[in-house]
Amino acid sequence: MRQALLSLPLLFIVIFMVVPLGVTIMVSFWERAGLRFKPAFTLKSYETIVEGARLDVLIRSIAAAVEATTLSLLIAYPIAYVLARKASPAVARLILLLFTVPFLINYVVRNVAWTSLLGRTGTINSFLIQAGIVDQPLDWLLYSNFSVFLGLISTYMPFMIFPLFLSLAAIDRQYLEASADLGASAVATFLRITLPLSLPGIFAAVVFGFVGCLGESAVPIIMGGVGYELLGNTITSSMDVLNYPLAAALSTVVIVMMLLLMVSWYLVFDLKTFLGKILEWRS
Amino acid sequence: MSSGYLNRRDAMRLAAMAMVSGSAMLPGIARAAGGTINFADIGVGDPNGDWSKYTAASGYNVNLVSIGNAPSAILNVLVSSGGQGTYDIINIVGGMQKPLVENDLVEKIDTSKIPNWAKDGFIDEFLGKGKPGFQFIGFNDEIYGVPTVLQGDSFAYLPEKTGKLDSYAALFDPQWKGYVALEDNYTTAAQKTALYLKKAGLAQIGNPDDMTKEEFKTVIDFLIDQKKKGQFRVIWNSFEQAVNLIVNKEVYVIDCWEPMVFVAKSKGVDAVYADPKEGYLLWAMAAYLVKNPNRSAEQTTAAYQLLDFMLGGWYGATLTNLRGYMTNPQAVEYAAANPSEFPADQAKRVAEITDNVKRKFQAGGTWQNRWPTEVEFYEAEWSRFKAA
Amino acid sequence: MRSSTSRLWPVWVLIVVVLALLYAPTLPVIVLSFTDTQGNPSIVGYAELLHTDIVIKALRTSAVIGVAVAVLASILGLLAAISIRELGIPRLVLLCMLLPLFIPGVSMGLASALLFKIMGISPSLVTIIIVQTLWALPFATLIILTVMATFDPAYLEAAYVAGASRLQAFRDIEFPLIAPGIFGAASFSFIISINETIRTSAVQGPWNTVPTYIWSSYKQVGLSPVLYALMGLIILSTFALAIAYLLLTVRRKPAA
Repeated sequence: MRQALLSLPLLFIVIFMVVPLGVTIMVSFWERAGLRFKPAFTLKSYETIVEGARLDVLIRSIAAAVEATTLSLLIAYPIAYVLARKASPAVARLILLLFTVPFLINYVVRNVAWTSLLGRTGTINSFLIQAGIVDQPLDWLLYSNFSVFLGLISTYMPFMIFPLFLSLAAIDRQYLEASADLGASAVATFLRITLPLSLPGIFAAVVFGFVGCLGESAVPIIMGGVGYELLGNTITSSMDVLNYPLAAALSTVVIVMMLLLMVSWYLVFDLKTFLGKILEWRS
Repeated sequence: MSSGYLNRRDAMRLAAMAMVSGSAMLPGIARAAGGTINFADIGVGDPNGDWSKYTAASGYNVNLVSIGNAPSAILNVLVSSGGQGTYDIINIVGGMQKPLVENDLVEKIDTSKIPNWAKDGFIDEFLGKGKPGFQFIGFNDEIYGVPTVLQGDSFAYLPEKTGKLDSYAALFDPQWKGYVALEDNYTTAAQKTALYLKKAGLAQIGNPDDMTKEEFKTVIDFLIDQKKKGQFRVIWNSFEQAVNLIVNKEVYVIDCWEPMVFVAKSKGVDAVYADPKEGYLLWAMAAYLVKNPNRSAEQTTAAYQLLDFMLGGWYGATLTNLRGYMTNPQAVEYAAANPSEFPADQAKRVAEITDNVKRKFQAGGTWQNRWPTEVEFYEAEWSRFKAA
Repeated sequence: MRSSTSRLWPVWVLIVVVLALLYAPTLPVIVLSFTDTQGNPSIVGYAELLHTDIVIKALRTSAVIGVAVAVLASILGLLAAISIRELGIPRLVLLCMLLPLFIPGVSMGLASALLFKIMGISPSLVTIIIVQTLWALPFATLIILTVMATFDPAYLEAAYVAGASRLQAFRDIEFPLIAPGIFGAASFSFIISINETIRTSAVQGPWNTVPTYIWSSYKQVGLSPVLYALMGLIILSTFALAIAYLLLTVRRKPAA
């Protein structure tokens, strides 16, 4: 009974996830026959990716996701640290709440609102011109790399604060006091105790940020300007002509990449750093 | 639209709605005596939720499901998910018959079951068999789509910045470098570009409606060259975005749809929808009858009644007035004859829009082709343009 | 301690700046929600919202789905976190739980739509809830795990030694300690649910949700004042709820 209950999530994933995943990978090797596709083993879709513009899109998407996640982590970690360790619980709760509220607004509406602030005649440019800071509107505020990154970071960075906060807040203060008692500097304590103990949170945060940015298709559409295409957009576009094998191949590349990332994480870090005492559990 | 005031009851409903997540009320699909027609639509065909005239006539309600117009969105809901068993009618920009019919997703339309069909002179004049517009509703000489909306597209500009413009050349004029926007769509933007290149003698293009690979590649090379020179500010992707580009004067020349100009004008912006000497990009929306194996004969009859309703005067006039597209000839008469429903200014608007679009169809240009012979090549090349 | 606190002032500035950036786009939304189509100040959006059945129905649908996904994902997430600990194959279970993150949304929508079709399940609220729960589950699991990872199982063993049953030990000792994680997982899942568009649209069947309706309007006919009013209503009522919550907790725990 207990085992059955505990296997429930696994079962849920296997039924609704592993099967679609398998189908996706399988279809990526199928061949197209008119508007339909039929079972086969061909690498044609992968050749299309490598030969055409899709490879550029793929590389750009990965680069954008890595950059946006790194920047977000650099912003989210200090915020989570201060909230978890230096703020009173009431203040921390309030600020965390404030971080979530904007997400109740639909993300399309939110990003559209950004364009009205950042455009050539938008609020920011109007202010800058009236204040005499610039004489021409700043074109790079919108439809640029800047606006895409602003969109990505403002959408996914707040999600990263939560796991970081939770892992930092859970660190036993006794460790820190012991470290201080032993004469370690604040920096040394942070590097030797806090940072390693917050790795589970960093891992979760990086996964949230990276996955979100990589799959994002609305931000480039709304804020991207002259065809800032990311992976999600190019997959949709290939489906527009019913090229499901190509869409599946693009997805497969992402899936394989993510699996490799997970494996290297295992090899380099060992799961212990993330799962901590869970691995010592004897049931 | 007349409900400009919040009364006390409204205020209480508002307060109740704010707490809606607390109420565990299960959402239910409204049921009329007869049943419900599931109507998938791209938003254009929604008469602001008022189907009362249809319900009164048929006893059926309409459940409108808002979907995307991208071929992927349409085909995904029908091909993969159970859309075929769910929807009765799907109302999208026409010309999708090839993928829809070849995948056995829609049924032939029996026009004898649609009394308003014969009364619709636009169908014969612009979309009849043998006319280029037939590609929006027909396939292999059979009719699959009911034309609900017709329109001719060009581009918009701000005369205060550019003066009068009358050629697609404006989209590529270095004078407006960085102040031009194109639509992210190879069947509109690329086809307009092809029309321009052909008429200006800049490229050898046989038929902009259905280009060969070489011809399309020429168009994309031209666009990439323009893009690298910084001609385009943005490649827009949605109605809302295009309206904002015009209203905020973010760009001066924009390849777009006419209703966006109507919206901009209503916000006090002096934008003009151009009458280019090269002609227009003509298109029509089509309502398809989904091939649903489970649908009862009664349900099919009701679906036909809805198709007929959509070719009727009230629906046509309501849509023309709301969205700014031409619908059917009865719309003008209906609006003029029923001042209680359509005040004089609205009736005038319906007549003006209809005359204007009719004029565009008579002037000609190129017919938007949503499924050209080399559609896959189009898609791959458009990706190259966007990634460039 | 005091010196390290004062050295951290740039972080407080950062928090203020980041919050300002997050709230910046809500201002135009609230302004637009009190503006008519001509750009004049008006409450016409709010008045029409009440009579726009399609939007109200979509809101109700989204709320029901959101609550269902929050409940389901946090329960499954909790079970998943415990099973990672107790099934003896932690790596495999964790990997499985993270799988839904790996497939891009568009492909995921298509793949699950195909799966439902093969299984003969027609699109309904249930299919939407399943697809969204799949997407929310990795987030929920990771959040709960993050809290659980620092929980010392020795506490539970102590409880067993003291004669507590597994259920009692879980209820009295572990649950209170990991409750913030479960609550966090539920809120996360809710937010994910009410923003999810691309997977939902593949299996929506006869239902409109708020995001699918907004996306379709945004693309093809423009955002009406009604939709801005809806967003305005959501943000204003959230603020009201947040303030009420804060007032209540402050009154209950004046010392904190």
